Amino acid sequence: MKAKIGIYVCECGPNIGETIDIPRVLETIPALEGYEDVELVPKSFGLLCSPAGKEYLAKEITDNGFTHLVVAACSPRDHNSTFIGVCKEAGLNPYLYKIINIREHCGWIIHDKEAATDKAIQYIRSGISRVLYQSELFERQLEITPDVLVIGGGIAGMEAALSLASHDRKVYLAEKTGELGGKAARFASLLPRQGRGADVIREKIKAVEENEHIRVHLNTELESSIGFLGNFEVVLAGNGDDEKTDLKVGAIIIATGYRMSDPGSFTGYEYADTDEVYSSLEIERMNGGEGIALRSGAKPASVALIHCVGRQEKGYCSRICCNYMMKIAGYFKKQSGATKVTEFFFDMCLPHKADQEFFDHSVGLGIDFKRVKEIGLSGTSVEFAETGGGKQKMDFDMVVLASAMEPSEDTEALAGLLEIDLDERGFFKEAHQTTDPVATSIDGIFVVGASQGPRGVSDSMLLAQATAGRIRCQLKPGGKIVPEVKVSEIMEAYCTGCRTCLEVCGYGAIYFDDQKGISIVNEAVCRGCGNCFGSCPSGALRTKHFTNKQLYREVTEALK
Amino acid sequence: MTEKQQEREFTPKIVGFLCNWCTYAAADLAGSTKLEISPALTVIRVMCSSRVDHNLLLTTFFEGADGILVAGCHPGDCHYGKGNYYARRRYAVLKKVMEGLGLEPERLQLSWVSASEGNRYADVVNAFSEKIKALGPNPINGRSDF
Amino acid sequence: MSHHESVVVVGAGLAGMKASLMLAHAGKKVHLVETLPIIGGATIKNEESFPNLECSTCLVAPIQQEVLQSPDIETMTLSAVEKIEGDKGNFTVTVRKAARYVKIADCIGCGMCYEPCPVSVANEWEENLGERKAIYVPCAGSLPNVPAVDKEHCLKLSGKQECNACVEACMFGAVDLDDKDETVNIEAGAVIVATGSGMFDASSLPNLGYGKFPGVYTPFEFERLFASNGPTLGEITIRDTGKVPAKIAIIHCVGRKEQGYCSGVCCMYSFKFAHFLKKKLPEASVYNLHSDICVPDKSYQKFFDGVKGTHTEMLYNSSMEDLKVSSNGAGLKVVYLDEAGAEREIDVDMVILSVAMVPDEGALGLAEALGIERDARGFFKVLDEGIVSVESSREGIFIAGTAEGPKDSQSSVIQAEAAVGQVLAFLESCRPEAAEALAEDLKA
Repeated sequence: MKAKIGIYVCECGPNIGETIDIPRVLETIPALEGYEDVELVPKSFGLLCSPAGKEYLAKEITDNGFTHLVVAACSPRDHNSTFIGVCKEAGLNPYLYKIINIREHCGWIIHDKEAATDKAIQYIRSGISRVLYQSELFERQLEITPDVLVIGGGIAGMEAALSLASHDRKVYLAEKTGELGGKAARFASLLPRQGRGADVIREKIKAVEENEHIRVHLNTELESSIGFLGNFEVVLAGNGDDEKTDLKVGAIIIATGYRMSDPGSFTGYEYADTDEVYSSLEIERMNGGEGIALRSGAKPASVALIHCVGRQEKGYCSRICCNYMMKIAGYFKKQSGATKVTEFFFDMCLPHKADQEFFDHSVGLGIDFKRVKEIGLSGTSVEFAETGGGKQKMDFDMVVLASAMEPSEDTEALAGLLEIDLDERGFFKEAHQTTDPVATSIDGIFVVGASQGPRGVSDSMLLAQATAGRIRCQLKPGGKIVPEVKVSEIMEAYCTGCRTCLEVCGYGAIYFDDQKGISIVNEAVCRGCGNCFGSCPSGALRTKHFTNKQLYREVTEALK
Repeated sequence: MTEKQQEREFTPKIVGFLCNWCTYAAADLAGSTKLEISPALTVIRVMCSSRVDHNLLLTTFFEGADGILVAGCHPGDCHYGKGNYYARRRYAVLKKVMEGLGLEPERLQLSWVSASEGNRYADVVNAFSEKIKALGPNPINGRSDF
Repeated sequence: MSHHESVVVVGAGLAGMKASLMLAHAGKKVHLVETLPIIGGATIKNEESFPNLECSTCLVAPIQQEVLQSPDIETMTLSAVEKIEGDKGNFTVTVRKAARYVKIADCIGCGMCYEPCPVSVANEWEENLGERKAIYVPCAGSLPNVPAVDKEHCLKLSGKQECNACVEACMFGAVDLDDKDETVNIEAGAVIVATGSGMFDASSLPNLGYGKFPGVYTPFEFERLFASNGPTLGEITIRDTGKVPAKIAIIHCVGRKEQGYCSGVCCMYSFKFAHFLKKKLPEASVYNLHSDICVPDKSYQKFFDGVKGTHTEMLYNSSMEDLKVSSNGAGLKVVYLDEAGAEREIDVDMVILSVAMVPDEGALGLAEALGIERDARGFFKVLDEGIVSVESSREGIFIAGTAEGPKDSQSSVIQAEAAVGQVLAFLESCRPEAAEALAEDLKA
């Protein structure tokens, strides 16, 4: 069939109408060389994006039976979607249309009308040349499963499970240990309010256990996972037995939490295991049990709480230590008002609106806050210098260290298994730190709680809810997903199997077919950036709608 | 080409591959602010600067471009994460190839222009087209016999 | 019980836009209500955002475009919620749309109307550092790229004199000076409040000299001064004098004591400013006068370490009350007490006041209109501050972003996503089937 291309120049009122000689453009097009086999139909219209313009254009497409369409108008950022809509309505595959930006790239920036007109003609020629090499592309709909796997049964994982489980969405909750609740289950109270504590966690555990749409797998870890958003196939393995569970899930939520770094690994903290030096988690355990006591069983009369242990070495502030140390100071004061509690801090980090109030309350309890510029620990003897003061030494019955939070021990292995990125500190890396904080580098895999970075209980729950929000939007029960159409593909015959493209793809969209010895693009995951194309040494890649031929035509025509 | 056209001073042909997310938006901003920009430049929109491979660049030179500008997001700002870093790395290699072809490496420029930098976009394009004008015509124009 | 599946989102900043897009993807109809003539919120005032110094426009413009082009999002600019009636799942939200005097459907954003307008007034969006016409877009690159007429200053609309300059300049008949305010009622199942926050009024602390000395700036003033699409096209020069500053003091914690909380973001933007200053004025001396350094995200310390010493000298200021900015004739003098309580003095050309984030000035009115509570600080109250941070005191209304309290962009987005999750769950629970299922469960 002979190609018949409609070429519509939008006057955009005076914006193109007065900056470009449209009659000259229209005269030039039919006389273009090299298009003897193509029927070129150039026309102009006042304002193509107006309701009248859209109606006109749709009718023109249908009446003339165009095989391709070029619209010379404004920036694609303004109205590409408008004209794609017109094409669809008129039954023309939108990938056989191209918008040419003769306003921002000609009329508005080339202030000599003749020159602007020449440039516009050149752009339109390029567009005509390119559009002839464009192909029809079709949106695909993929079936999905709405079910979700949560890895980690701490507060973040339980909250994610509870936020998602419903009659049409099953949640599988895999917990490595033999019980739910995580570290927070030991806490007597939760920040920022001192009122409620472990009862909140107990309520959550009960709610999870009673929820018929949540299946809890204790003593279980992830063994393998393949797939993509909406379609993951995972295998869970019992860590005490050989039991394997195969699951199909649409999304995976990582909620593996944190651990406290070892204070002994940081310079300046010298103490023996038998010294009365404890971590905040150990104090939580004592406080929730028999009460906080020295190894002798006696209650401590003086306690030093040291903030920021390992902050400098780790290179980050753990966000919640200032607050939980004040909470722990409160435990001591509650146990005995006579206990002398001294908090050594560098910077008081109180980023939540209610934190200052908590600090003021703690000051009111008679806790002695000392701002220091240096500190060292030897047994339970603290050597320090306050800001603006000299070195001093104080001895205490007991010392509590707020050691930096670090990723839990499974983090690296899990990241490797799921092929997602870690940040330079070893926490899971967000898809985008600001605009996409719960997603990871692989669509459909999310990270919540302190495995994404140091966080407290309430923030961890919020991240879990945010992830639930994302999954509810992306994976509706009974719904489908529509992947990007302008994706990469690999021409098998040309692929040498060098795997360069696997390394450069930021989305894990390319996998290697061991049997064929070639790379394969998973079109459901590809976002169409073309980075793999730029990396391929053998020319095996094609980027749909941005193919070599299409771009060559555009370039060559422009340079004629 | 008519004699009259030949008499005119050399007007370079420059192809600009602009990333859809940052620099293309900057070009729009320059347009809507009505800044004057050299007509020497022809813009080709790509989704990411990392899509622009060596073949495309060399073909563009063989077809007669006197200069090529590849412009994308600032390092760290890439819409796709790290595409622009890859682009930068690849061009370092290509510049060596260009030398071998007798093509001045300055004819290929990689610039970072963000979406709010309409003025900078205009400056970058105008300065590049002055630079190419001073370099003169592309010595390998049409020489696909390489 | 009848119910609605659509959602009203109040505020089109980062949190409101993200929430709207997510809800639209989930198949909901969204009514996005914004008081300004443009969408984008506070983020688009910043050239670069911390900690990765990414171009804010590059991050936000695609989101703005997607919002404006989504068929499921009705963006209502120059609009404010007046009242809400009904019950959870079945609200009627009354929105007052102020006249724009430019028809969005007809305007193509060519900007031909600005030039002929004879009025010139200070541009409040540019923190009054530049001027605009009575028909205007706040800055180049505004979205929607459609001007609005400021009826207070327009000669014709304010009744000062007959003028039709913009009407005549528009080739599309898009300017309509007869446009009227209108009130619309929206049926909605739930509401998300994402109206953002305001900035502490630095002029309320006279010892800091804001409003008195031209060299004293607020954070947003400095952001616009640095922005390449701002009033000086990104040149850092002091207002009135046009002088390029050689020494700059950035003062942390302005308003912290008065407000009773740390805003959690000021340290970071202060360090960002140090980076901005050294980028454009490598010879300049920059001082950060700080107390507690609050860098609570895993990546923030690294940013701080990257500027400390190299981009800025860190000076400990032990008492905000004793800090005083005054004139030293040619420039400014900052007197403060150091860590030992000794008085110190530095001479500078420019002072930037890192002020606290405070509740938006419209928060009280909106709280009354929506029948939701505010906390003691004036931010919107959430049901249980310690446990869940998105449900307001009224069922069916949710809070996201800095409307709930000071926070960084990441936390705003997290809250927006959480709010969407809760809204979707809530709408499901309002469906008659859900009520029936619950009744059956109870019976069983």
